[in-house]
Amino acid sequence: MKTISNDFGVKIKSALARFLVNEKWTRLTVPLFCIALTALLSSILLLILGKNPLTAFYSFLAGNGFAAKAKYGAGVGMISDFFQFLNIMAPLLLAALAFIFAYRCGLFNIGISGQMLLSGFLATIWVGYAKELSGGIAKPLVLGIGLIAGGIIGTIVGYLKYKFNIHEVVSTIMINYIISYVTGFYINSYYVDQVSRSSKVISTASRLTFTKTMVLGNYCNVPLGILIAIGMAFLVRFILERTVFGFELKAVGSNRNCALYTGINVGRQIVYSMMISGMLAGLAGVTYYLGFTNTIIPKTLPGMGYDAIATALLGNASPIGAILSSVLITIFQNGSSYMSSMVGVAKEIASVITGILLLFSACGQYFRTVASAYLRDLAEARPVRHESGEEGEENELRP
Amino acid sequence: MTDQNYIVEMKHITKRFPGILANDDVTIQVRQGEIYALLGENGAGKSTLMSMLYGLYEPDDGEILIRGRKVRFKSASDAADQNIGMVHQHFKLVENYTVGENIVLGIEPMKKAFGLFPYVDMREANERIRALSKSYFLEVDPTDVIADVGVSTCQRVEILKMLYRDAEILIFDEPTAILTPQEVEYLLRVMRELRRGGKTIILITHKIEEIKRVADRCAILRRGKLIGVLDVAETTTQEMANLMVGRNVDLQSRKTEAYFGEKVLEVDALSVRNDDRVQVVRNVSFDIRAGEIFAIAGVSGNGQTELADAIAGLMRVESGTIRLNGRDITRGNIRERTEAGVGYIPEDRQKYGVFLDFDLCSNLCLRRYYKAPFSKNGILDFDAFGRYADELIDDYDVRSAQGRKTSVRSMSGGNQQKAIVAREIEEHSALIIFVQPTRGLDMGAIENIHKQILAERERGAAILLISLELDEVMELADTIGVIYNGSLLKIAEASALTSQEIGQYMMGVTAN
Ligand SMILES: Nc1ncnc2c1ncn2[C@@H]1O[C@H](COP(=O)(O)OP(=O)(O)OP(=O)(O)O)[C@@H](O)[C@H]1O
Ligand SMILES: [Mg+2]
Repeated sequence: MKTISNDFGVKIKSALARFLVNEKWTRLTVPLFCIALTALLSSILLLILGKNPLTAFYSFLAGNGFAAKAKYGAGVGMISDFFQFLNIMAPLLLAALAFIFAYRCGLFNIGISGQMLLSGFLATIWVGYAKELSGGIAKPLVLGIGLIAGGIIGTIVGYLKYKFNIHEVVSTIMINYIISYVTGFYINSYYVDQVSRSSKVISTASRLTFTKTMVLGNYCNVPLGILIAIGMAFLVRFILERTVFGFELKAVGSNRNCALYTGINVGRQIVYSMMISGMLAGLAGVTYYLGFTNTIIPKTLPGMGYDAIATALLGNASPIGAILSSVLITIFQNGSSYMSSMVGVAKEIASVITGILLLFSACGQYFRTVASAYLRDLAEARPVRHESGEEGEENELRP
Repeated sequence: MTDQNYIVEMKHITKRFPGILANDDVTIQVRQGEIYALLGENGAGKSTLMSMLYGLYEPDDGEILIRGRKVRFKSASDAADQNIGMVHQHFKLVENYTVGENIVLGIEPMKKAFGLFPYVDMREANERIRALSKSYFLEVDPTDVIADVGVSTCQRVEILKMLYRDAEILIFDEPTAILTPQEVEYLLRVMRELRRGGKTIILITHKIEEIKRVADRCAILRRGKLIGVLDVAETTTQEMANLMVGRNVDLQSRKTEAYFGEKVLEVDALSVRNDDRVQVVRNVSFDIRAGEIFAIAGVSGNGQTELADAIAGLMRVESGTIRLNGRDITRGNIRERTEAGVGYIPEDRQKYGVFLDFDLCSNLCLRRYYKAPFSKNGILDFDAFGRYADELIDDYDVRSAQGRKTSVRSMSGGNQQKAIVAREIEEHSALIIFVQPTRGLDMGAIENIHKQILAERERGAAILLISLELDEVMELADTIGVIYNGSLLKIAEASALTSQEIGQYMMGVTAN
């Protein structure tokens, strides 16, 4: 005998399973389910620490300008926080796109942080310190340097792979070290600010973020980078999905032998894909070092170059998915300090939550498989329940 | 009461995949100790049915009884617990392990050194493998590394793997598709031996000849439905073929009078080395004229594939020249050669022929996507893709669950092959290279492809046919070249050679 509550449980479960399996929406419902699970598990974690999870989540949102804080300083408001959120999201999204572009060609660009650092450094010393340049000239120059510097590193990596079969993971890690130490040396020798121990601050004209801009009566840091990043996401999507170039790129990523058989120039495709990946990483670098911040800490690779890998994978390695996942990751990363001050747990809990989120997203396909298996069992179980009764079973099975 | 005799019963099995009923109310009953064949067109649902018996899928409907008891397999290991073993269409072996290690993998005989340190006792395992291989004529050396042995040995290893796990019910999914005629001979003997040893065998194959020779009964599937179960001894080959396809099959294709034109392909003193620096093609010269089918016969592994790869541009030429319509293409890249008029159906379809993760539509357009109307100024036009793909799917009867949107990975092996053949023939190139074009295809599809090859010949294409099937070579070829150890031993008009003579040359006998 089934109790009512039990039947109700089955109904909920099957509704949830159908929600996940649904052909059309599965690409959206599975990530949503993962986010819900993350919220659940992190709530339990926070409860164990004796904190109120609702307050924590609210402060994550408030820290990013999606909800109101208890109080604001003079001249700043919710909208200022929102712009700060965009300031971080822009380079993260660009870096994630950089990863995606190589990944779709079967390459693993883990040198994004190095490419970011080099392009940020070069733009800083060549344009950031050229006080005489006006904004209209400096800003395009900064973007151009980002594209070129990142592109050159990417090209080198691709060429090493194509000509000498040196794996891109190996070469990018080594290049990361070289860039980190060489730029560190130059900053410490020539460009260091004696007080902050990091590089001297760049000129306002060259910065890609308009600081202290009045928006609706609040002072905001308005990032130019976010427009570039979102534009790039759509451009990358267009290239990958609609162009011959993107088709060949994905072909090389999917099966190198067959790409060769098809007549695709595999080597050239590898070099181009790394080059463009590097260019996107370069853009990420300048929006980070000459936008979100205005200085470079020597001998430190930006952690964002690695967060970008997680962001890209969370977004299913698709450009539009990356927009959504970079929103999510930024909310946790950027909101961590406000959350920490409001709830009174260590800032690092944000990283733990991000980790949980990534863990669950990696299991996305597994959830879906379990759900479809559950639905099937349910469908099978139904006739069996009648079976215990009488004959007639044959008819039940075949309507 | 008769149920006692049946070791395997699959009753009213239904299995759906998105967009297709792979098995529709199929019931088969297999007796203890018989060889039971499954015959059916490509995509008829044979592999799917057996995958359910082996626990890889669960049926949507119906039940499975083993030795009269109802079972429900959640995984292959559940099936293995019921003494069921399967040799898959594509082998599942660890390349850099030895034969012995592959066989014991998962059920290693553990011992403890000094009663403390666990280790795998390979010596005992190898002894048992040797004993097994002797009693069933399955020659292997347990200490050989898999990467170094040929396909037929791999297959023996797969069979030993089942026997080592005390399998009583052995499933073979198209075991002969990759074997040479001699190896097939051998395998059939092994099967009879296994039957004598009391094993029950379920055999999937497209070759009615083989069924005729070893099987006791044969079930025929068509588009997911069971059409009938025949007593093999009382049925003719033609009857089986007709039942399988659902219409009269013409087992003999009709060749028109040869009409040769200009020389299209001229290969002169061609030599090729493989990655291990071994010379695999040695000083090969031959010509193919327009309207001529030039077939290369030979035992597998004598340089045929490499010769085809070299002409298509996938392998570097060491010395010699290749001319197409008088133009030297020896150093041209692959795209230049396809543009100049070389079509190629490669031997390893999953490695070279298709992108398994792309949809059928993209795979059908691989030769054209970069040209108008498929793309303009580097922008793809998916409407053009779709129209062209639908046309080919129609004309070549490529069957799949969701039409052109189907991911090629989910298509049956034979239909993947049909897609490749369709794509290459449709280019109507000056030279078309067919390597094992009908491997794994059903008789209806073979008939169809042979017709298309002959139609291309009539159109005036030069055709290079490389096949391990002597029957196919004899049936289609105008000219036959026999390859042995990388050299062409003999080139002659097809009518001037008998199969016996070709067989001799294939073994390297030149004095005739
Ligand atoms: N995993 C899957 N997902 C979706 N469809 C599938 C899957 N496996 C098989 N199919 C479909 O089910 C049908 C039957 O396939 P199956 O592999 O059983 O054919 P088959 O009889 O073994 O053919 P062949 O002789 O070509 O190997 C095919 O149309 C195939 O496209
Ligand atoms: Mg099959």
